[in-house]
Amino acid sequence: MSPTTTPAEMTPVPIEIEQIGGSLAAEVKAWSGASPMTCYQCAKCSSGCPVSNRGDAKPHELVRLVQMDQRQAVLTSRFIWECTSCQTCITRCPQKVDIPAINDALRALSLSEGLAVAGTAVPVFNEAFLRSVRKRGRVHELGLMVAFKLRTRRFFEDLDKAPMMLKKGKLPLFSSRVRGRSEREKLFRRAAQGGAPAPGGAPAQGGKP
Amino acid sequence: MRYTFYPGCSLDGTAKDFHRSTLAVAAKLGLELPELEDWICCGSTAAHNSDPLLADALPAQNLLAAGGRAVAVACAACYSRLKMANHHIAGDAAVRAKVAEVVGADYDGLTPVRHLLEILGRDMRREIAAGIRRPLTGLRVACYYGCLLSRPPEVTQFDDAENPTLMDQVLEIAGATSVDWPHKTECCGASFSITDPSIVLELSDQILAMAQAAGVDCIATACPLCQLNLDMRQKDIEARYGRRYHLPVFYVTQLLGLAMGCSARELSLDSLFVEPKGLLESKGLLGAGARSKAEARR
Repeated sequence: MSPTTTPAEMTPVPIEIEQIGGSLAAEVKAWSGASPMTCYQCAKCSSGCPVSNRGDAKPHELVRLVQMDQRQAVLTSRFIWECTSCQTCITRCPQKVDIPAINDALRALSLSEGLAVAGTAVPVFNEAFLRSVRKRGRVHELGLMVAFKLRTRRFFEDLDKAPMMLKKGKLPLFSSRVRGRSEREKLFRRAAQGGAPAPGGAPAQGGKP
Repeated sequence: MRYTFYPGCSLDGTAKDFHRSTLAVAAKLGLELPELEDWICCGSTAAHNSDPLLADALPAQNLLAAGGRAVAVACAACYSRLKMANHHIAGDAAVRAKVAEVVGADYDGLTPVRHLLEILGRDMRREIAAGIRRPLTGLRVACYYGCLLSRPPEVTQFDDAENPTLMDQVLEIAGATSVDWPHKTECCGASFSITDPSIVLELSDQILAMAQAAGVDCIATACPLCQLNLDMRQKDIEARYGRRYHLPVFYVTQLLGLAMGCSARELSLDSLFVEPKGLLESKGLLGAGARSKAEARR
């Protein structure tokens, strides 16, 4: 390149920044669309994070571990299960690194590789929640709480809460069920297949679902 | 004014008082809120924790069912999920195509989604002012917005992300004194209420402590999880940290409804765990005091 070359004459070369990081950064980006690689470690996220003092890593440390491809440390981390998705980090991040979305991706990877930290009840809750949505279309809170207690065997924690809520009429015994269960079943199946058309026919085009 | 109303699951259960008070206030204001037919859950935290495609598809299915009509939401979490799906679908053709495959119809991500506070605080200020029967004079309120109304601002476009004031403005029109305090948008611990209550106790304690330090009589919220965590767990928090708060935690619509002359029953005030009766009577907002206050206005 001659010294007189102006920026307009240069051919931009697309750089896939995730190639600089290891495979974990690329997997996180593929899953969530959020890149961990543009973080320059200013730690503003950790200053505002409501749970940064609880876990084994602070948000900026976790992002750095992803950049360094420290797969084991990241996927066994307790922090990824204690993130409340409050969106404070991304709101304040000068680089708009979407840590809540990165954590969503890391939770899924951690689960699929059997590395989720012992003691977290989040995966069980999420599964029970989504099963309720799939079956009924809506979440029946009492049913969800019972399912969660049965699965986690935490019978004595918060024992007083259900009676308190029942007394205030805040836990209806029965829930409404929304029509269209078979359509919903297809929606969940197609989502699990990553948007591929469900076997047995292409989805209808246009119109109301 | 008319919006298609998406209540969400909480408003049928733990936040039925939010539902009732929202409809009571809307009726007073002439705001029509016909419920979206056959709405389904927005997916909430569980969906975006588990599968980004499902997290966009569930809101998309609901917004498609609205048939292009603007949608009003009261629950902050549902609002966040519907806005997030719109943001993803309208901003990325690949996401839009995938969601279309999952839902079975193309959705452009452009159906307007508005939170109740945006409608009240931006479009209906005059109607509110004209409808005040029992001003909330002398009531010091900490308006607590929580996480999902204002963050991330690129997605929700609700108000200032760090210092939102829409709820403050609405309650000031109703005659209350809203205080400036630093924990307006701090996280209460949200759905960890079920999976790890220790997180909720710690975070909600900080919020209650700040509200108390600001010298308020009560807290106002617009999120079912925030309300439940600060209200139902307040006794546990007091016991764990050795404090005494006794701060009633209202839905903003309950306070606004009181000011507009709705009855305690219409606003489900008996659903609150921290008893608000003493406070409201002392301010002349319930019982005999309330009647004479309303008559004095006439």
